[in-house]
Amino acid sequence: MSGGVDSSVAAALLVDQGHEVIGATMKLFCHGDEVPDRPCCSLDSIQDARDVAVALGIPHYVLNLEDRFGRQVVQDFVDEYSRGRTPIPCVRCNSFTKFRDLVAHADSLDCDAVATGHYAIVSDGALFRGADPGKDQSYFLWGIPRSVLGRLRTPVGGLTKQETRARARALGLGTADKPESVEICFVPNDDYVSVLEQHLPADAPALSPGPIRTTAGELIGEHRGFARYTIGQRRGLPGGSREPLFVVAIHPDDRTVVVGAREELDGYEACLAEVNWLAEPLAEGATCSIQIRYRSAAVPAIVTDSRPGRLALTLERPARAITPGQSGVLYSDSGQVLGGGVIQ
Amino acid sequence: MSDLAYLDHAATSPIRPEVVDAMMPYFGERFGNPSSSHRFGRAAKAGLEGARRQVADALGVEPGQVIFTSGGTEADNLALIGGALAAKAAGRPMTVVTTTTEHKAVLAAASAVARMGGESVLLPVDGVGQLHRAAFEEALGRSPAVVSVMWVNNETGALQPIAELAAACRDAGVRFHTDAVQALGKVPVSAAAIPGALISISGHKVGAPKGIGALIVPDRGAVAALVHGGGQQFGVRPGTEHVAGAVALGEATRLAVAEQESHAAKLEALRQRLLDGLRRALPDLVVHADAGPRAPHIANLSAPGAESEALLMHLDLAGVAASGGSACSTGAVEPSHVLTAMGVPDALGRAAVRFSLGPTSTDAEVDRAVAAYPTAVARVRELGMALGRV
Repeated sequence: MSGGVDSSVAAALLVDQGHEVIGATMKLFCHGDEVPDRPCCSLDSIQDARDVAVALGIPHYVLNLEDRFGRQVVQDFVDEYSRGRTPIPCVRCNSFTKFRDLVAHADSLDCDAVATGHYAIVSDGALFRGADPGKDQSYFLWGIPRSVLGRLRTPVGGLTKQETRARARALGLGTADKPESVEICFVPNDDYVSVLEQHLPADAPALSPGPIRTTAGELIGEHRGFARYTIGQRRGLPGGSREPLFVVAIHPDDRTVVVGAREELDGYEACLAEVNWLAEPLAEGATCSIQIRYRSAAVPAIVTDSRPGRLALTLERPARAITPGQSGVLYSDSGQVLGGGVIQ
Repeated sequence: MSDLAYLDHAATSPIRPEVVDAMMPYFGERFGNPSSSHRFGRAAKAGLEGARRQVADALGVEPGQVIFTSGGTEADNLALIGGALAAKAAGRPMTVVTTTTEHKAVLAAASAVARMGGESVLLPVDGVGQLHRAAFEEALGRSPAVVSVMWVNNETGALQPIAELAAACRDAGVRFHTDAVQALGKVPVSAAAIPGALISISGHKVGAPKGIGALIVPDRGAVAALVHGGGQQFGVRPGTEHVAGAVALGEATRLAVAEQESHAAKLEALRQRLLDGLRRALPDLVVHADAGPRAPHIANLSAPGAESEALLMHLDLAGVAASGGSACSTGAVEPSHVLTAMGVPDALGRAAVRFSLGPTSTDAEVDRAVAAYPTAVARVRELGMALGRV
């Protein structure tokens, strides 16, 4: 229970259905506003979750997973940017913190099932897109252990966000009209560079000046650290060229940010590592759809190489800005998540 | 309570029936404002001043030295910040000296003093929570505005030699304050042993409701007011008094002091029963601050390898209420600053669970904990292994 409306309603629906529900909130980080004499940062979201649990009459516990989250998610986030890639910490959090560590706690309490407020549907041990196309979060869940699927419950997965809010209001939950959180939870004010600055030495290459070159090799400017850029980005590039420029590649070795025209972003090949399957693994020649970022449509693709942990696919039509570090998630025509991996 | 065991009396205790009886009229026919000159006001005033006298008599001070507050936290703040401000008004430095194992109310007040331009000095303790005397003596040489040492530690039960410390302060001409919140009713608490000292007490630890406490202020110049208003309570703590709460505190304090000796014997026997049972099941159990002077109602213990956060979940679901090092307002369990200050290794500190006993505690409750805790420890050790493998 994050303290948001989705997990609040998920808990409420389960209570309504007569389940014995135990609420848990993961405390994952501490903002830098600690005062030495305060026992810990009293994050409002934890308080909200607690209030909901009290209102529902269920036990609620806070699990301090700060250390593990720091190692599994925050450190990887920093490392990936240092390698010129663009990570998705929410995927790592699901794969490691939420669906391994939290589930271990649930196991320890002999819980039959684990429920979350994700907009995704679980049916017969298979994971599908959520019913609300605008909210579908299945993209972030490809890395969870397949063994968890059999006991995962996502009570709001079949609802639209509007329906969830309506349920929350009907239940009188204080979180009903809480604004949507779209930021990364541990990144204050959406300023991820500040997190990198906190974790990296001042002279880290990722935050040091380097050249901005065109795909033809022409030097057109200097940047203040390649970690400030992601593939497909327009912001923060020198102006003055005839057509708009986009970041098309990042080379951490010589700190070069490479820019090019829009069509240079188009790609047909996706190569995935850390592959995890939530269905039977696809063999070479198999077809599926691949979604290469959270807010983009899935594109039909054919598997060209499949070996343990790695996968290569060729897309039927080009996808824009296939970005290393983002997730490539494989779907069936019915919207089932077959598996996924980290784009190389 | 047959299938539940409430072993968290250091957090709070139920209100005693005698106390409920004493306070109820002040929610009803004796509702008046004690500052009003009419008969309604006089009835409330009689209750308020009767309560002040009860607290004074129980602790061995004059009624005019009892300042009602909203609880222990406010009393501690008034002692430290009010004491520092009084020193400043007298042209002396705002230096406060306290220990690393104090309640957050004292530590936070000391750091507030530092932020106000004063100075906060924290004194170390040894492995059983006893204040380092050499550091204490040295700190007295800095002519602090207030030296604050808690009588009984709320996490470990460690008992400080308050009379000796207060005497040393008196000899040095330094104001002494003690947070006696966990001491009242559990060990002999008397102002006669520490003349001139500021003393904090809290109602809800001795069977009065939450929201009432008191600071003993030996002379008006000892502290400056922190809130300002209509001059009630000699202007030291203005605001219309919580009459029903004060009446409850008066009765609860009277009972706590009158029954202290027999109560302590009962608590000590229960604590022994708890530790005997747990040690039989878990030979590697570590009981913190057990070897030093201590109060009878707290047992803070660690089973190596079983983190308290998960343990407390298991215990709660098994109907056993205990607490971790120090629960913050969100319920997250943080490593205890008290155990850390005592030099307890971090891993052992993270396993610490506090059982605390009170007037309603029974053998049956203790036995329930003795049965539940080792089972919970086994499960949490398994969890630790499972997490370690990931």
